[in-house]
Amino acid sequence: MTTTVTAPPSDRISSPSPAPHRRRQRHYLAPIARHGMLIVASILFFGPFVWMILTSLKTPVEATQYPPTIFPSHWQWHNYISIFQQEPFGRFYFNSILTTTIATAGQIVTSAFAGYAFARLRFPGRNLLFFLMLGALLVPFQVVFVPLVHLLGDFHWLNSYQGLIVPNIPSAFGAFLFRQFFSQFPAELEDAARMDGAGLWRRFTRIIAPLSKSVVGSFGILSFVYNWNNFFFQFVIVNSSKYMTVQLGLTIFQAQNSESQFNLLMAASSLAVVPVVIVFLIFQKQIVRGVTLQGLK
Amino acid sequence: MADLTIIPRDAPRPATADRGRLGRLFNGGERYLPGQRKEAAGAYLFIGPTILLLALFYFIPLIQTFYYSFTHWNPFSVQRASGAGLSNYRHLVTTAQFLSSLGHTLIYIVFTVPIGMAVGLALALLLNHPFRGRSVYRTLVFIPYIAPIVGSAFVFDFVVSPLGGVADGVLNSLGLPQINFLNQDPWAMISIIAFSVWQIAGFNMVIYLAALGAVPDMYYEAGLIDGANAAQRFRSITWPLIWPSTLFLLMIGVVNSIQMFTQGYILTQGGPLTSTQVIMEWIYQQSFVSLNGGLATAGSVVLFLIGMVLTLIQLRFLGRRYAVNLG
Repeated sequence: MTTTVTAPPSDRISSPSPAPHRRRQRHYLAPIARHGMLIVASILFFGPFVWMILTSLKTPVEATQYPPTIFPSHWQWHNYISIFQQEPFGRFYFNSILTTTIATAGQIVTSAFAGYAFARLRFPGRNLLFFLMLGALLVPFQVVFVPLVHLLGDFHWLNSYQGLIVPNIPSAFGAFLFRQFFSQFPAELEDAARMDGAGLWRRFTRIIAPLSKSVVGSFGILSFVYNWNNFFFQFVIVNSSKYMTVQLGLTIFQAQNSESQFNLLMAASSLAVVPVVIVFLIFQKQIVRGVTLQGLK
Repeated sequence: MADLTIIPRDAPRPATADRGRLGRLFNGGERYLPGQRKEAAGAYLFIGPTILLLALFYFIPLIQTFYYSFTHWNPFSVQRASGAGLSNYRHLVTTAQFLSSLGHTLIYIVFTVPIGMAVGLALALLLNHPFRGRSVYRTLVFIPYIAPIVGSAFVFDFVVSPLGGVADGVLNSLGLPQINFLNQDPWAMISIIAFSVWQIAGFNMVIYLAALGAVPDMYYEAGLIDGANAAQRFRSITWPLIWPSTLFLLMIGVVNSIQMFTQGYILTQGGPLTSTQVIMEWIYQQSFVSLNGGLATAGSVVLFLIGMVLTLIQLRFLGRRYAVNLG
């Protein structure tokens, strides 16, 4: 240890008592230990996905050989073509994108309307209805799914796009989030417009909606990822491959391929995982903000 | 402002208008400004879609869940349900299969929730202060939380598979015997728990990071001046101040874990035999495979009540309570 590096002021405060040489040692060791632990954590948390992609490009023999190779000796890009030949993953993607997009848009619109009314309008029964809505947050889908599936069966909505979309549209969490956001605005915000005789619709669309881009972004992307990943719901609504989403298609693919084709299973898994990870990397800020909002209520 | 906040048990209650308890519950006992009364009709149209769809797809099925739990009912037949009294519930408490799935769910919760929180907190403490590369680590650790469970479960399956999986290779090179992780009691349950911790830790970390970021620096400075070491500072400053987040994660963790289905269904399908079957897998089995809707909904009611009771116990005994503060 040389003496040319001087500890920053904060470090001097943080350890007033120990002998100088010990302090300087810690100054070097702490960041190394921190990075060491974080590198191990990163390998544990993200490594499996790297392994998935590498395995997806190997031959079936190489995928399971011991000791394993890290990089494929011959990159088997055609694995990705053959999974599309075995199962209609194009169709699964279309179904996932269509149903998730519409359900998310529906959640944003209905939640923004309800949140605005609960935050800024006065009407008889407001608190009662608000409590009722919060009650839905306490009722997990898992508790109501048997009668719900029966109901959707009566509607002839099992194995249909409506069935995958409409029950997902109401969002108590979304309405709650929008209500919180809108009630932060000062009361005077709408007063001038109200004096000029602007009705509800006009005030909502001209004044309130343009100010809510940030909450729409956070909630929208969170809702999109949630709907995309909502496996159990899709699983009980759909069993015909015509309406299957990417994740349902993946379970079918796994069931119909023997476990010896791990390379193809990893290619199919990559198809399910990689787009979500890319969306996350693009919208990371909004997603983390949305997730944090849940925790700071 | 109006929101759901954690307030101390002994905090003074906010003063509200004089409309009485029922009036407050109904509409907050508020007075109307000129012109607002006319807008009430519009307000109902604004909340209409959310409330009606919630009623149709949540509240009515919830009531039906209770109703069908007292009947014999095939959810996939046009035949009407016939009254069964309490026989479904009597059946539940005498069925070893149901009780053991309840036990598996409890084991799953008891390990997954605290371990996931501890890992999340450890990661948050490592990532709390800015340094080069921090956001990269944070991103990598968070990715399992947003990745679709089905996809990552197959990856986990492959990693621990005896067919040339990585875990097997590690055991082999350490000279340890082979373990069939997903097919051997108790390793199957341990694997599901490990997978779930891996999946949820990033979420816990993000919540804890937000909480740590909200702790004012001056508390730590005061602690340093008093000569408190890192462990003492954590125990007397950090831990009490992030307690609301701990409570939140505990509650949300228990509520989510009690409904766990996908991880178990993909990784072990309840096996080997039924040694990892959790309550949701049992309910699914009863309704979709055995077509025994009455028994399945009775199980749902038990699940719902357990969730409610656990939430209330946590709120009561952990010293704080949630309060909806309308204003």
